[in-house]
Formats: sequence, C-alpha cells, structure tokens
Amino acid sequence: MSKPIQCSLCEEAATVHLSQVVHGKVTKVHLCEACAQKGGATDPAVFQLADALAAATPAPSLTCPQCGFTDLDLRKRGRLGCPACWETFGEALDGLLLKVQHEAAHVGRAPAGVVPVAQLRRRLDAARLEMTAAVTGEDFEAAARLRDEIAALERQLAS
Amino acid sequence: MSVEDILAAESELTHLLGGQQAVVLSTRIRLARNLEGLPFPGWAKLPQRKETSDRCVVALEGLPKFRRGHVVRMGELGDRDRAVLVERHLVSKELAAGKSGAAVISRDQTCSVMVNEEDHLRIQVVKAGWHLRGTWHIAEQLDDALGGVLKMAFSDRLGYLTACPTNVGTGLRASAMVHLPGLCLAGHMDKVTRALNQDGLAVRGWLGEGTEAAGNVFQISNQQTLGLSEDAILRHLGGWIKHVVEQEWNARRRLAQEEGEKFVDRLARSLGVLRSARLLTSSEAMNMLSHLRLACDLGCLPEERRHLVDRLMIEGQPAHVQARAGQELDSDGRDRRRAAVVREALKDFPEVVPPTA
Repeated sequence: MSKPIQCSLCEEAATVHLSQVVHGKVTKVHLCEACAQKGGATDPAVFQLADALAAATPAPSLTCPQCGFTDLDLRKRGRLGCPACWETFGEALDGLLLKVQHEAAHVGRAPAGVVPVAQLRRRLDAARLEMTAAVTGEDFEAAARLRDEIAALERQLAS
Repeated sequence: MSVEDILAAESELTHLLGGQQAVVLSTRIRLARNLEGLPFPGWAKLPQRKETSDRCVVALEGLPKFRRGHVVRMGELGDRDRAVLVERHLVSKELAAGKSGAAVISRDQTCSVMVNEEDHLRIQVVKAGWHLRGTWHIAEQLDDALGGVLKMAFSDRLGYLTACPTNVGTGLRASAMVHLPGLCLAGHMDKVTRALNQDGLAVRGWLGEGTEAAGNVFQISNQQTLGLSEDAILRHLGGWIKHVVEQEWNARRRLAQEEGEKFVDRLARSLGVLRSARLLTSSEAMNMLSHLRLACDLGCLPEERRHLVDRLMIEGQPAHVQARAGQELDSDGRDRRRAAVVREALKDFPEVVPPTA
C-alpha cells in the first residue's frame, strides 16, 4: 500500500486535498484536518493557498556569499552551487559526507604547486604514533623508515 | 561533420587498438574537476556556463593529447548524433540531455573530456581490456597537464571540490566493463552484486548509471572518493575485478562441463539466429552477441573474431544503426537494418565447436 500523503504544514496524514491555479500554474496542497481548519481551508472565500504555501516554506538560514545558493537549495538538489559553497555549508556537510563517504578528509593528489598542509599534518601525526609503537615493539627497521618519513614531512611543511 | 568522423574512425573500443581480453571489455578512469571561482554547471547562469565552456575548450585544445581531435558542442548536434556519442561512451546521457555541454575527444577516442556536465570538467580515459594502471597513468598525466593551464577548485581538507558530495576528494571513479554470461546463466549475479555493494563498489548496466545490463555486460566501479588515496581506490577495485574474473571463469567451466552438448547448442543457436534473422531488436542482438563472445573466449569460435563481436555490440545500438543508414528509422526499420548489418558481418563465421579443454 502506498504511504498516506503528509500534510504540507505538519506531519499528520492529509485528508483535505486542494488544487488552485496561481499565476496560470496548478498548485496542489494537502492538509490535515487541524491545519485545514486553522487556515480556513474549509471556507473557500477566506482561504488563500499562496499564504498556506508561504507558511509551509521555511526561510533559508544560510546563503553562499559567492553564488547565492542557500541551505534550502542544497536540501532540494543534493548538489552544491559553487566551490565556495563547500566553505559556506562546511559543518552542515560533514555529517552528510560521513554518511555517503564514511570519511570527511581528503587523502590523495593535489594540483601541482599546492602543498596539502592539512593532509601532511595528519600523516605526520599518524607517523609519529606509528614510530613510537615501532620503537616499543623493537621493530627498528620500521622505526628508521618512519623517522625518515617524519623528517621529510617536517621539511615539506617547513617550506 | 565531427560525429561522422568519430563514427568512421578506427577507435580503441571498436577496433581493438589496445588489445582485448575475455571477460573485461574495457577499463575506464574518470576524474571530476572544477574551475575555481565559477558556479557549478547545474547552478550557473547561461553566460557563466558559456565562460566555463570557452575557457575549458580552449585549454583542452591546446594539449598535445587532443591534437587533431574532435570538439563537439551539444547545442550544435541533433538528437541522433548525441545518442551516438552516448552509445560510444564518449559522453554521458546527462551531458547529451543539455544544450550547453561540450566534449573534447582525442583522435583515437581513448580520452574524452566532458565540459559542463555535473562538474565543469569530467576527464575520462578508456582502454580496451583490463589495464587499470596504464589507464590511470594517462588520466593522471592529463590531469596534470590541465591543472597546469586551469586553476582547479581544491581544498586542503576536502581535496578536489565537486558539485555532488559523492565525488568530492579525489573525484576519481575507476571502473571495469565486464562481460559475465557465466555468472548470469548460473544465476549468481545477484549474489555477486550484493557482495560488491557491501564492499563499496557499484554495479551498473551497459551505459552507466540507471541503465539495464544488456548482453550480460556490467560496469563495476568504486563509490568512495574521499578519505582514500587514488592508489588505494585502484587497488581495491583491482582486487575485486580479479576475483570476479576468477568466479566468472569458474562458472563458465562448470556450465560447459555440466551442460555439455546443451551448452554448445545454446551458443550455436545464437550464431544461427544472428546469421539468418531478418529482424533483430537491440536487446536480442546484445544477448546473442554475448553468447558469441562467450564462444570466442572458450575456443568454440576462433578467438581472433572476438573484436568483431565487440564492435557489433556497439554498432548494433539504435543510434549507430540509424547513423550508418544515414536516416531516421522507426523501430521495425532499425531492427531490419540491424539484422542486415549483423548478417553481413557474420556471413563467413565458422561453425561453433565444443570448447577446447
């Protein structure tokens, strides 16, 4: 069986279904009993569909200064507006990235001439831990290799 | 006209310039890249999309890889020409559906860069057969060359920035087009798909996302692009493809052994139908060509004929059939024409014999 249609204003099941022509376009709205009463939908003379829809559409709370893309656009499209959006919606996207990518940080190539500082720092931290473990475990071959890698990373980060 | 040139040329996938193998039809690498400071195509206004297109096409035309190549602008092509490019895997359905997309294609058709698809740039490299490292190496060089002339959107923390969160990071989608008649006939494909999905690999049909698997051909690709290095992504895919190829061979051997004469009969009947049918639908042709490819792999038909089967799989697609005919054809007309092309190509094919070993 198909899922009951949800009220456009709250989460209840909709029982009142209205169609209205606004600017030559057919717009449909589905309401539950309570919201229909409140909005006066049972009295066609009073009810304004446009008002109900405006109330149902929340205002955007975040807008990309570079391209004007909002958090509502993001929710609707599932895509971003421009490269700067990644900065604008940064925190909001981290949860999504963990869900679709299982990770939230890049490990990989960078354009020529770009030193991926954060990536090098992460590797440096990991290599230091690995070296401590190698020394403790008396795996001196691995420790020496890690020591060289750490020195190289430190040189790269200093440059 | 450029699309006619593309059709007439001997290409990597239709003329085995790269050598070819059983099971893996082709290896593909895709890199998603975007220019800094410009909105992504899906959000950009027309003038911005035009600016993107102009900048990218000029940069691409200047690269040695695309010397004497092709530039195709979707807005200037008819429906059939765009469909031909999709069937040849040179552009995606999404790019073909819009008007402001373009593609720059290398002369041998191994490299094609889509401009204004979901991202500003989609670099694609394809090789016939299984050549993961070699294909990656070409894509890497192309990426470096392009990065030398265009400033790419890159974040220290998130890597290459893309329109969709599913591509951010490396922007890398590595895939293999595999022919799995053994696993399909044995009824194991659901199990294989589930195992691949569970380990982060996607299984799609012949023409990519949202298409059906005609002719037992599937595309297997990585899904995760963030938090793994390019090398780790390639190793992960490579390991699984090796495993799938082994499973496919096991299934084929078991079928040939258990079904014996029935198995050979099935392949022989497909050749018989293809050689004498007057009307052939696209999916019927694909499924029977799949049997012919299997016969070539097993030595039931000479192995050197396999490239012809591969070519017919591509050239039997609806838009290719019409382009060859030089006219629009209705469904019956296409089926008639397809049957004629296949009959002609297979007329001196030898008979199917029992498998060697």
